[in-house]
Amino acid sequence: MMKSAEVLRLEQVFKSFPATLRGGPPIQILEGIDLNLERSKSIAITGNSGSGKSTLLQISAGLMQCDSGKIWFEEQDISRLDDDALSQLRSRSMGFIFQSSLLLDDFTALENVQIPAMIAGKSEKQAKQQALEMLSTVGMQDRLHHTSDQLSGGERQRVAIARALVNSPTVIFADEPTGSLDERNASVVEDLLFSLVEQQQVALMLITHNNSFAQRCDIVYHLHDRKVEVSS
Amino acid sequence: MKQALFGLLVKRKLGFGANRAAKRRILFNLLLITLVVSALVFAQIFVVSMSRGIADKYALLGNGHLQVHTTDDVDFSGYENMIDVQKVGQSYALIYSPSANKMVRLKGVQDTYFSELRLAQLTMGEPYLQTESNLPQILLSTTLAATLDVQIGERVALMLVSQSSIRPQLCIVQNFYDSGYQELDANLVFSDYELITRLFQGKEDTYYELLVDGDTLQQTKQTLQADGYAVTSWDEENYAVATNLNTSRQAVLGVMVAVAILCGYFISELSRELVEDDKYKIAMLTLFGATKRLIRQSYFSTVMAVTLLAVLLGTLLGMTLALNLSPLLASIAARSIPSLSYYLLDFSIVIPYLDILTITCVLVVVSILSVMFSLRRVSRIEPISCAHFD
Repeated sequence: MMKSAEVLRLEQVFKSFPATLRGGPPIQILEGIDLNLERSKSIAITGNSGSGKSTLLQISAGLMQCDSGKIWFEEQDISRLDDDALSQLRSRSMGFIFQSSLLLDDFTALENVQIPAMIAGKSEKQAKQQALEMLSTVGMQDRLHHTSDQLSGGERQRVAIARALVNSPTVIFADEPTGSLDERNASVVEDLLFSLVEQQQVALMLITHNNSFAQRCDIVYHLHDRKVEVSS
Repeated sequence: MKQALFGLLVKRKLGFGANRAAKRRILFNLLLITLVVSALVFAQIFVVSMSRGIADKYALLGNGHLQVHTTDDVDFSGYENMIDVQKVGQSYALIYSPSANKMVRLKGVQDTYFSELRLAQLTMGEPYLQTESNLPQILLSTTLAATLDVQIGERVALMLVSQSSIRPQLCIVQNFYDSGYQELDANLVFSDYELITRLFQGKEDTYYELLVDGDTLQQTKQTLQADGYAVTSWDEENYAVATNLNTSRQAVLGVMVAVAILCGYFISELSRELVEDDKYKIAMLTLFGATKRLIRQSYFSTVMAVTLLAVLLGTLLGMTLALNLSPLLASIAARSIPSLSYYLLDFSIVIPYLDILTITCVLVVVSILSVMFSLRRVSRIEPISCAHFD
């Protein structure tokens, strides 16, 4: 069960992948992971490439099933939810930021932010209003009608942050959000992300290689040898 | 609102506000389906019109829509839907010219036979007007005249065969006619009704040729039969031709429907292509919480909107091309291209609405089914897939 302050709790999570398509012994990725994230707090997961950081994030967000263990999100065991319930949960309570922003390239920056709000059931007008406000917050008010290919990497990532926050989620899952940016832009995006997380009282689960970025989180977990340990 | 989101997704997939590549893809597919549909519609109109044109030639010049087999004088004015009634006599004879001969069907008709309706099916030359000779005059087709190598005003001999004797009868070629369909023209010779009765002395086949409103043919036939008349219709009199025409129409319709099925299947390729190209977008939309049903519906609506618009445009284009075909056919007919000599090139365009509806409905139904089937792949795209594009 979850404590009242917790929004996400992982209990004894195990995950393995088949070694090859032809079979063979499975490769264990995660082994007995216990982890929790409290409301308005931030955690960072660090570790070497291939250590299973992204897998841990995907399991935590219900995007991937674990072999065993429990994942509690807002007091629900998400491994028991069906597709529709998970879709609703993601729409209402989760925001995602990826390394390469993954904006929908047929749509403008405004529409990219507006769409998640519309999926969450907002009217077109409301969704547009919220998207406008969120894009202004990330400093993109002058680039509303630009498409993905007309924006720089830093700008795209700012739109991705606005998109992740537009439905006022409980948790933001960010997988290497500055991984593809230069130092200056990475610093701008880092500052923006942390200031918005603090301002909107959102919990953050951050996957990063960057130690200084990770150190800005309340707790830093290090994933090593299939297990997590608190590193600070 | 989901409706607004659905509208936005469909609008963008259709190319409104989208990049050039997306617009080009939609336009290319729209154009391709339009061309296929227009070709199908055009071909079906052409075949149906030509077969009806041939049937009209046989009905108007050959035997009439209905034949009442009686030698009595009958007044058909009390019957509804009669367009024309002609008493005719016919028999067979060998026709001789100095250079050739041929077995012909000799049809004796009265002065009123070549009404405007029948003349519309023919082209005629200038008639031979000299009257010094007492020889009877006959009307040959240009096809037969070419076979016999005779000109207007020249003499030909008819060899009349009866049970007891063989009798020659000299005639003058009064004029040439051309119905545009050589199969019919090749052995049909017109003469005066009185000449036939005089030459064959009751051995000729005498009957009434009735032209009736096409929709009431069967009803009129039944009424006449109920009144005790021996009645046949044009398709019974020309069974082989009517069967061939009908079989050709059905076969062509079958081919058109088969092509429509293939086209419907091809349309599912558009949906497959759209989904393949949009995999990460679909994954992202599901990540944001969009249901697979909403995504499938948006792709389905996009593809079907393109399909229905293309079917509509293709049908209109095919019909427009077919309706403007007459000048082209007339020009081809005027060139007397030998390989086309046995095709009817002079016919009215008839739009076979039921056939067109069948073809387009089959295409739309097959495309609906195949697109729905191909969009099952949307269900296989999980939100986790977006991680693969990261």
